[in-house]
Amino acid sequence: MSIKLSSSVPTDREVVLGILNNSEEALNKLYAGYFPMVLQFILNNNGDEDDAKDVYQEAIIVLYNKIKNGNFELSSKLKTYLYSVSRRIWLKKLTQQRKKTNNIADFEDVLAIDEDVEQHEQKDMQFDKMKVALESLGEPCKTIIQDFYIHNLSMQDICEKFGYTNTDNAKTQKYKCLQRLKKLFFQP
Amino acid sequence: MRNEIELESIIEDYLNGKLTPEERMAFEQLRSNDPIVDHKVVAHKVFLDSMKQYANILLLKEQMDAAHDQIDVAAISEKVKPHPSRVVRIWRNNRSAIAVAASFLILAAVTLLSYYAQREQQGNIKLLDRRIDRLDKSQGDIIRVITSDAKHTNRTPAKFGGTGFAVSSNGFILTNYHVIKGADSIYIQNNKGVSFKARKFYVDPINDIAVLKVNDNSFRNLGILPYSIKKSGTAIGEMVYTIGYPKDDIVLGNGYVSSKTGMNGDSLAYQVAISVNPGNSGGPLLDNKGNIVGVINGKEEKTENVAFAVKSKYIMEALNSIPQDSLSNRVAYGKRSTLQGLERNRQVTKVQDYVFMIKVY
Repeated sequence: MSIKLSSSVPTDREVVLGILNNSEEALNKLYAGYFPMVLQFILNNNGDEDDAKDVYQEAIIVLYNKIKNGNFELSSKLKTYLYSVSRRIWLKKLTQQRKKTNNIADFEDVLAIDEDVEQHEQKDMQFDKMKVALESLGEPCKTIIQDFYIHNLSMQDICEKFGYTNTDNAKTQKYKCLQRLKKLFFQP
Repeated sequence: MRNEIELESIIEDYLNGKLTPEERMAFEQLRSNDPIVDHKVVAHKVFLDSMKQYANILLLKEQMDAAHDQIDVAAISEKVKPHPSRVVRIWRNNRSAIAVAASFLILAAVTLLSYYAQREQQGNIKLLDRRIDRLDKSQGDIIRVITSDAKHTNRTPAKFGGTGFAVSSNGFILTNYHVIKGADSIYIQNNKGVSFKARKFYVDPINDIAVLKVNDNSFRNLGILPYSIKKSGTAIGEMVYTIGYPKDDIVLGNGYVSSKTGMNGDSLAYQVAISVNPGNSGGPLLDNKGNIVGVINGKEEKTENVAFAVKSKYIMEALNSIPQDSLSNRVAYGKRSTLQGLERNRQVTKVQDYVFMIKVY
């Protein structure tokens, strides 16, 4: 389902439908549409372009998860929502870095989105945990797991790619890797 | 080992919904009978969900990075970065607020314009009203003259009374102009019943204020005045009191400021909800801190407990137009009164020595 978008900023409905249908075009339009707003906020509040990129991408992940979980209601403008989430995330980062946060220069209305941001922080911790676990897994386990679970390769493909003599060997290897990964991931 | 691998792949297929209905039934049977298997299913589900979420976010991040590379970040940041000029920065930060303020100003201007356009007509009507008032008044005056003439024929000396209070220690007394208007001779009488002769020193008919000078050798210096005159305006609801001579003895009246304007919106006066009687005119209106906030000068005829008081500002204007070297120890203005913090009865005890009955013959 591809909607032809005429303007540079897509309508909120288009974005929500696009994300639900995994449309990369909708994501691109959304991304380009509101980045200047967040960039302006960060640059005017003690941050640089890289901070803006990080904060903005986190905010889009929050929005993305909310839409994917089906509990996003179009009660506010996406623009206001993204601005509020970015703002909250950046102010938290500023406090962590012990930079001064008084006199926040605001450019948009602000919503109460604390709950969403807190939920996001939980998920973000899980994401980091998985990332660290995969990193410490080492090769070839990391690639086998990624190929199987992220790139959705079949055991047959993996068997050929890694040159195993039969799929059973590949399965055994994958099983061992998975056990180690689970151990790493689930350890407190 | 073999079995473990098989079990793991069955669990995975089960969670991904890849089992046939028969296999599924059999597996669920196994799961409900074996807590270890059940635990493995639950743990694997958590793991798979996390992995899926990880994969999704990873993909999203890749897509966003690609989108980010399409954007000319430097050009945008050139446009939106903090401007070196403060004015531009304030304009950017408060663009919407300034817009609101500007539209409000325009709205206010338009409203005012249309209000004035309407008011012109109303003003005419008011003028007519006032003319009728004047007719009424002149009629009232005639009647009064007749009655007073009748009194004169009885040869009982026409005697008017009012109240006044000291504005300096050497015998300057402030009262209402209408109390002493047209007087032949003026006497002031203190709370012990002793009278002193006084004369008109300064009058301000517009603000209804008059200052008398005691002209009597037996008058003793009063010492430093306990009250001071309030500089700022008084709020609606502020508790106030007055002391005066509606009869031969001093009387306390209690009330509160009920409006910042007097009769018909007269901005020179306050409206006070207080019980006053003829004779209270010229009496000081004090707040709880012992500051004089006004001078009682009249009451609403048709309504009970509504009086008017000239604002303290005009007392000061009157005092400032008197040669300053003739006033010794004049009343303080805008300073802390020595009465502040005292109970009401103690305040009255102190103030009553400085409040006089004005007798006009």
